[in-house]
Amino acid sequence: MNIEFQQRLSNDLPFVTSRREMLARCGMGLGMLGLAGLFADEAQANTISAEPLAPRPPQFAAKAQRVVHLFMNGGPSHVDTFDYKPALAKHHGQPVPAGNLRTERLTGGLMKSPFPFRQHGESGLWVSDLFEKTARHIDDIAVIRSMHAEVPNHEPSLMLMNCGHGRLPRPSFGSWVTYGLGTSNQNLPGFVVMCPGGYPIVATRNWRSSFLPGAFQGTYLDTKKTDPAELIANLRNGTLPLEDQRRQLDLVLAFNRKHAADRNVDPQLESRIESFELAYRMQSEAQEVFDVTREPKHVQEQYGSGTHGRQLLMTRRLLERGVRFVQVWSGAGQPWDNHNDIEQNHRNLAGEWDQPIAAFLDDLKQRGLLDSTLVLWGGEFGRTPVAERPALNGRDHNHYGFTCWLAGGGIRGGYAHGATDEFGFEAVENHVSVHDLHATMLHQLGFDHEKLTYRYAGRDFRLTDVEGKVVREVLS
Amino acid sequence: MRGGLFCVFVFAFAGELRAEPPNPQDVEFFEKRIRPVLVENCYVCHSGQAREIKGAFRLDSREAIRQGGETGPAIVPGKPRESLLLEALRHESFEMPPDKQLPKNVIDDFEHWIARGAVDPRDQPDAAASESDPFAVGKNHWSFQPVREAVPPDVQQTQRVRTPVDRFLLQKLEAAKFSYAPEASRRVLIRRATFDLLGLPPTPEEIEQFLTDESPTAYEKLIDRLLASPHYGERWARHWLDVARYADNKGYVFFEEKNYPWAWTYRDYVVRAFNEDRPYDRFVTEQLAADRLDLGEDKRPLAAMGFLTLGGHFMNNTHDIIDDRIDVVTRGLLGLTVTCARCHDHKYDPVSQKEYYGLYGVFRGSVDPLLPPEFLPAPESEAYRSFETGLRERLEKLQAFIGDQREKIIRNAQTRAGEYLLAVHRKRNQPNTEEFMLLTDTDDLHPAIIHRWETVVKRSKRESDPVWSAWHAFAALSDHEFVQQAGEVHRQLIDPASSVKVNAVVREAFRERVPTSMKDVADVYGELFKNVREHWIELATLNKNAVDYSRLPDDAEEAVRQQLYGPDSAPMIPRELSWGFLDLLPDRPTQGEFTKLLKEVETWSMNQPGAPPRAMVLQNAETPYQPVVFVRGNPHREGESVTKGFLSVLTKQPIRFESGSGREELAAAIVAKENPLTARVFVNRVWGWHFGRGLVATPSDFGLRGDPPTHPDLLDWLARDFMNHGWSIKHLHRQIVLSGAYRQASDRDDADRVATIDPKNQLLGKFPRSRLDFESTRDAILAASGDLNRTIGGPPVELISSYQPRRTLYVFIDRMDLPGLMRSFDYPDPAATSPEREQTTIVPQALFFMNDQFTLTCARKLLERNDLPSQESAAERIVKIYTILFGRVPDSEEVDRAIAFLNAEAEETESLALSRAWQYGYGSIDDSTQRVGTFTPLTHWTGLRWQGGPALPDPNLGWVFVDKRGGHPAATLERCVIRRWIAPEDGTYIVTGELIHVPEPGDGVRGRLVSSAAGLLGEWTVDQSKAVLPELEVSLQKGDTLDFVVDFRETILHDEHEWPVTIRQGDSDREWNSERDFRGHSSDRWTELVHALMMTNEFVFID
Repeated sequence: MNIEFQQRLSNDLPFVTSRREMLARCGMGLGMLGLAGLFADEAQANTISAEPLAPRPPQFAAKAQRVVHLFMNGGPSHVDTFDYKPALAKHHGQPVPAGNLRTERLTGGLMKSPFPFRQHGESGLWVSDLFEKTARHIDDIAVIRSMHAEVPNHEPSLMLMNCGHGRLPRPSFGSWVTYGLGTSNQNLPGFVVMCPGGYPIVATRNWRSSFLPGAFQGTYLDTKKTDPAELIANLRNGTLPLEDQRRQLDLVLAFNRKHAADRNVDPQLESRIESFELAYRMQSEAQEVFDVTREPKHVQEQYGSGTHGRQLLMTRRLLERGVRFVQVWSGAGQPWDNHNDIEQNHRNLAGEWDQPIAAFLDDLKQRGLLDSTLVLWGGEFGRTPVAERPALNGRDHNHYGFTCWLAGGGIRGGYAHGATDEFGFEAVENHVSVHDLHATMLHQLGFDHEKLTYRYAGRDFRLTDVEGKVVREVLS
Repeated sequence: MRGGLFCVFVFAFAGELRAEPPNPQDVEFFEKRIRPVLVENCYVCHSGQAREIKGAFRLDSREAIRQGGETGPAIVPGKPRESLLLEALRHESFEMPPDKQLPKNVIDDFEHWIARGAVDPRDQPDAAASESDPFAVGKNHWSFQPVREAVPPDVQQTQRVRTPVDRFLLQKLEAAKFSYAPEASRRVLIRRATFDLLGLPPTPEEIEQFLTDESPTAYEKLIDRLLASPHYGERWARHWLDVARYADNKGYVFFEEKNYPWAWTYRDYVVRAFNEDRPYDRFVTEQLAADRLDLGEDKRPLAAMGFLTLGGHFMNNTHDIIDDRIDVVTRGLLGLTVTCARCHDHKYDPVSQKEYYGLYGVFRGSVDPLLPPEFLPAPESEAYRSFETGLRERLEKLQAFIGDQREKIIRNAQTRAGEYLLAVHRKRNQPNTEEFMLLTDTDDLHPAIIHRWETVVKRSKRESDPVWSAWHAFAALSDHEFVQQAGEVHRQLIDPASSVKVNAVVREAFRERVPTSMKDVADVYGELFKNVREHWIELATLNKNAVDYSRLPDDAEEAVRQQLYGPDSAPMIPRELSWGFLDLLPDRPTQGEFTKLLKEVETWSMNQPGAPPRAMVLQNAETPYQPVVFVRGNPHREGESVTKGFLSVLTKQPIRFESGSGREELAAAIVAKENPLTARVFVNRVWGWHFGRGLVATPSDFGLRGDPPTHPDLLDWLARDFMNHGWSIKHLHRQIVLSGAYRQASDRDDADRVATIDPKNQLLGKFPRSRLDFESTRDAILAASGDLNRTIGGPPVELISSYQPRRTLYVFIDRMDLPGLMRSFDYPDPAATSPEREQTTIVPQALFFMNDQFTLTCARKLLERNDLPSQESAAERIVKIYTILFGRVPDSEEVDRAIAFLNAEAEETESLALSRAWQYGYGSIDDSTQRVGTFTPLTHWTGLRWQGGPALPDPNLGWVFVDKRGGHPAATLERCVIRRWIAPEDGTYIVTGELIHVPEPGDGVRGRLVSSAAGLLGEWTVDQSKAVLPELEVSLQKGDTLDFVVDFRETILHDEHEWPVTIRQGDSDREWNSERDFRGHSSDRWTELVHALMMTNEFVFID
């Protein structure tokens, strides 16, 4: 681990004045000692303490404390959603004057958007009717229209967006954030990933912790399942009712106390004892938090009855309870990958998302959570302004230019950053790379992206590899 | 800011003469403790090798270090307090080094050194450091120095010395004024050693035998027995597999077979190597170059090369695959982070980028065969013969296809050369499209061939090849000035007196053509290539029978022909086409054909009865690869040529690899006894696997940023002793495991005092308590259950999602989707070689112990062990359970507590009582009686549902299952699925509910409600629909049943359904709800007790 980071961690734990006080404040039991001890002493070690998820302050005052990533996997079309290109209608069917850029498949002439665009909010930013409800919040949103990635293939682009490198095994964004900040509710996982119906392409690699300790990996929930107890592995004992399990754990505790009393004080023993108490509480709390039927009916109705409504309502419940990073996927595979019939397919997909996103942003705002929650919407890349051959009713992958948007967490609302060319093929103004996006988001979380590092295989690795600059214009 | 301090750090000359020759001990002290610190921390700014000597102050010779400036002498020998150097090191006035203070013990060394007279043998400025070689400082790093002949020192507490290891450890402990903890009890020792060496708990019988063995060598005998156990290899192979980033598949790949069907042959090889005590040098050599060794009859070591080949496939990026191989070899075997030098010279260690590409050449010149070879003697069986015949047919088809495709690609690359050249020209400033997984039409230019032509064109520019001089001359013109300037270029080109060397045939081709664009230039080249090719073919046809047919007679024309047929030419793609071949087939139909044919070979050789296992070897390519540096690691920017060879910092004389790929020579260089790293790195790993922490705490990084050894002499002694004993790993174990250090207790009475002196236990004043890793945890639970399958070796099995009694070593390791549970228990990500395991404590681990079906099942099975007769008294049973789980008997307090738990008033909770009314099973309805004829309970509980066995469908019962909402029947009326409710007392009961069927296609299901008292009460059919049951009132006597029976109707598609029901007792508030009351095994107190004991710290921590 980066020495500076460690020193910061030890320096910035001023509240750790005494063992007793620390235990009281963190409610963590003796196990926390491992952490404090580690960060104070183990200048060179890669080992994370016995309590890797304990909360930690960032490097500097942060605007955002948590992240929600709405991942439109498959690649949503920017020219049909947030990047209005009137020239497409004008030149519909015609070839691109400069020739098509090389994409994954063979493409033909320009294709106009089948969806009308309108201006919204005081800012008057253009949004297509696909996201007309989301657009109610446009004055809280910074649209980045000049995103670009490296290649027009899903796998490397997913890896880049999630882990900061297209091919090589690196920890995911959520893992880095959890590593940097820990999490403030030990009864729930710190980094939660929801994807209904199975995994996206490249599966669990999207939320892996790679060379960071396993504690920082994302916890996957198949949100197609509606039974809260089935969402996390081993969350329920199929045999013992809770009250009986408590009795059983009391017995374990008694044996463990005796075992510890016969030995020198050993933080390892203490933190394992504590982990069972946390686990016992997580059983109830996690089931409770996933159970959206506990919400008032009118709230459930706002979010809608679909899967994404349920996912986002769960997300809000998780955020309220201190979960650090939630990633919400569109679905298994690559739903937004509409090479064919983009009109119908995008209409269906956006139809499933629009209302839940609008309700989610409303809800966060009402609860005063939006200011401290960084919301990212986007895919791994965008889609071509030209139609894909031979059907000519869908769009190919486009990594040269695409759109993401950010909201909350100190982001400048009602602002559009950067631009693509007149057709939306390539970013041409104020380019924002995926590394820049990551650097910007880490900045809002209180980290200098060059200093959130982890020593591994002789190098101090970071999420942004050797690149990335903070896009200051999108910050409020 | 701090940099400014350098400027004032100037010392006055402290002219001091040395009267007597220095005492050798003081010289040694300087060499060991002072010089390395100066070299590592100071020379970068204060020596002859510094780019700019800061403060004009040097520390690299005796004279220099005693020179000073106006601030006074840097060192006053014998007077530490007056020595400014010491003040600076302590950051009292100046702060040196500026970025961080040196550790206190190092500063103490300086004080000691100055106090003893500051003996300094450096008459000349340090040679290494004064060279201009930027690696000079790094070369002085401790780990690159030869392994020394350390002599075990004398110590006071000789009674604690069991092996020479102890002398080194005790020396430091004694210096710190304490010693080992007391010797651990025998009970602790056998548990510790058995888990450590076998990864399994000792059996109660083994413990008993060891405790009662009165011979003075009882412990030695124990260790001998453990080292001779075949399970020793399983345990220690797993450590090595972490280093080898073992997995059973490739990670994400696009088209090809994702699994490594024979990765397990490597795993089994490693198990065998440890069990047979394969000398480590041989072990390493086999893993790198078994294909080059004379193996004799026994070809099994071929499987060793899985070490190289079973890494991730990085979407088939050749360079990443090679990088991963370099990484596993260098970090894994040498403890050096060589892959840092992929893009630039290593920032910290003396490893240059050229050296990286020297190793790259070794692996680029080695290929993975499409079908790995067999390694067992061919059996004389009919099954094998018919397998072989079938394989031959399929291989021939595949090879014919590859041959055809290769011909086609070559012809295309030769005859369309003009088009390719134009494409190369046009993409000069474009991104590298061939890194995409592009799809093309069959008549498109071939992206991989564009790239090959590009390489040729670039190389020709570097080498000023006369064939290409015309091309480069025109290519230098910009598009808009092309027409104006082409005339002048052309004039020079056809002028024989011009200084530019131009191939005569090329010159002729241009003579009558003044190009107006690069397209014209490309056309001229294209035509020329076409003509030369035709000429060559014509000649070849004429000379079909001639013996000497190897070149065109005209030298200039031959030089052009070499562009089409030469070994490095763009068209001549290699013949060995393994996983890289797909890059050459960019259109979907051809890819499809290739994958189909390959799949036929693979499936046949994986699944056919009689198919033998195969060894995942590498083989040398037909032509060795000549490496060049990739500038900034970018394979599209080729830099200077390099020679294949070994890392210079590890050898006295440069070692070049000249035979084939050079893998054999690489292996030899790694295991050479003079290599300062190989033995040190391995003994350190073994030490770490025994003690939880290596003498060097960064086991895969012995470079400048790694941790220095806590006991350098011990490390060197172990390394030498290891090599001197034939690289025997078992010998090494004995030196460690038989030591007094290993045999001490993990607690001591004066623990608090010792903790203040040595808080991290680096001096090993107690044995470090450790928690079982994932494999040992799971294996220990299985062993306790009595159900552990001790079979050694074989193909991998799935054991996370279902109950499987094999050792955890045999789990199928999915590189793409490593089970979250395993990562939760700190199982390393097999994406790359793993230096060591973390040890974290997180909630999912506890949830596994508390709730996973595996733990619950094993707790139940333990109670079924035959050595646990149920008729014994509760106390006797508890004693027996303790010996099984913990290897000890419980004290009376523990027994009492356990009995109290068992006897606690069965607080039969209401919810439990309700759930006891339900049973889940299958059976049929007897049409004649209209009653349920048979009812058989389902016995397998998955944690979520009841079913026939671990797998669904079950071999006998098919899809039958019951979950809390509903279930699924089998495809026969004999096995309808039945949810049964038993009336707890006489009375009237009211039944409500709804039967729901959702999925299509199929014809839905039929549900029947049958009472044992009154027969059929109702029948409903649903097909993507819902039937609401009418409220039914039935009178039942205690023990009567209500059966909710579902069958498949007529088609067997999608018969999953839901049937939630409630049953209300007519005259009370009691209500049964099928969903709420649904449970798995009903628990019993004994199972809960055993389960609780399995959860304790005592079960998973080893003292």
